[in-house]
Amino acid sequence: MHVVVDLNRCQGYAQCVFLAPRVFALHGEEALTYTPAVPRDQEERVREAVVACPVQAILAGERAGP
Amino acid sequence: MPPETLFERITDFAARADPYPLYAELRDSGVARQADGSYLVGTYHEISALLHDPRVSSDPRSRAEPHEDPAATGLPPSFIGLDDPGHDRLRRMVMRPFGPPHSPHRIDELRGEIQRVAGELADALVAKDRFDLVDDFAFPLPVTVICRLLGVPEGDVPQMHTWADAVVAGLDFAPGEDPSPRQRAAREARQAMGLYLGELAEQRRRAPTGDMLSALVHEPGPDGALTRQELMVSAVLLLIAGHETTVNLITNGMLTLLRHPHEYDRLRDHPEEMPAAVEELLRYEPPVQLLPQRSPLADIEVAGVTVPRGAPLILVLAAGNRDPLRFPDPDRFDPRRPDNQHLGFGSGVHACFGAPLARVETHLALTTLLRRLGDLRLVEDSPEYRRSPVLRGPRHLHLEQHRR
Ligand code: HEM
Ligand code: SF4
Repeated sequence: MHVVVDLNRCQGYAQCVFLAPRVFALHGEEALTYTPAVPRDQEERVREAVVACPVQAILAGERAGP
Repeated sequence: MPPETLFERITDFAARADPYPLYAELRDSGVARQADGSYLVGTYHEISALLHDPRVSSDPRSRAEPHEDPAATGLPPSFIGLDDPGHDRLRRMVMRPFGPPHSPHRIDELRGEIQRVAGELADALVAKDRFDLVDDFAFPLPVTVICRLLGVPEGDVPQMHTWADAVVAGLDFAPGEDPSPRQRAAREARQAMGLYLGELAEQRRRAPTGDMLSALVHEPGPDGALTRQELMVSAVLLLIAGHETTVNLITNGMLTLLRHPHEYDRLRDHPEEMPAAVEELLRYEPPVQLLPQRSPLADIEVAGVTVPRGAPLILVLAAGNRDPLRFPDPDRFDPRRPDNQHLGFGSGVHACFGAPLARVETHLALTTLLRRLGDLRLVEDSPEYRRSPVLRGPRHLHLEQHRR
């Protein structure tokens, strides 16, 4: 699984970091970073993060990207 | 006397089982001034804008006619009732041991424990022909989990349970009944809980045990340490804000799924779809129906109506969640709804602090129940509701079980 976060939409609510902290991280108060290639044992957590993101900024798919 | 204004009709107990037609009326009537001088807002875009408007205060002292706070304990206010910058400072300090960026793994590491508690509670139900989902499952789960998070020893959990019960009863209200004895009991329970948690934090200061209270007293961030009183009210806030809300989400969740048997079966077979279903439940049957505490710091204009400074401004989240201008087919329960930016956790600077915990807890609770239990039937539909129009949910949910 691959993820892409639309950082223009992302508001830094950090719901994704709580739910999948091995994939998403917050640096300082605002800046979100993430691992685009999701390890298999984190896929379920990432699916949770996708639906919990309050602005639906996370795109996940087998081949994410534009 | 029969209830007259829209707000009276919404708070009237007769509306509790199905307030949604009244919410539709509210959306149609625009920003509605009530006879008592309060203003009700029920449309999505207006509520959302107000939740992000720095001219809108959450502090009860911003009211033109400050009412006596029935929860007053002689302690300082907790951050849910403060405006920035005071709110922001406390929220950041309490967030430090709870979530990112400083403690990103705290909630994730609690998953195993939540699963264990939910599993044990469900085990006790499997052999029963009939049970009450509220008393036997939904009520014990959140208190136990939050006690584990904070680091309350196992043996003290029943005591926290009793205090939480009294506080919740104090929030409820029944027309025509004198609420003061219940409110006094609630105030005492809040104080006792605060003293207990303050004392526990002192013990953790001497001997940390890896839990959130220990981290709160041991790892002060750039803002310094919380005072003892700030710590007490913040810990009590976490316990109270996360308690009945989560109970109601789990209970409303089972009620809604049992009313939609096709979705129930589908979610039992596809538990990976549960996180999205939880979001839809937060839209469709939100545990916090309205926010009664806001007031503007200046005269502000909302949808063409001037709301004067200090007037009670009541944001009906549950009405916004069913606004057809925001959600297509809003009265339909659709667990696969795309673009579900609901107001169930509020929004803006006061957006629910505990949302990630509530999400994980409800997700695990509902998947465990669906997996473990047999065929269920609602003994009564609608069930008996609690009085409160704010924290709305069934008092009991009696279910009949046929083993599969
Ligand atoms: C399904 C369960 C829950 C629901 C529906 C819910 C809903 C809400 C809502 C609507 C608000 C906004 C209040 C406002 O704007 O005035 C809020 C705030 C808050 N919630 Fe929750 N909540 C839930 C669970 C929890 C849990 C588990 C915790 C604690 C761990 C918690 C702690 C808080 C706190 C501390 C605030 C105040 C935030 C602030 O003022 O900055 N909540 N919640
Ligand atoms: S949950 Fe969404 S908005 Fe929040 S940090 Fe993650 S991607 Fe950004």
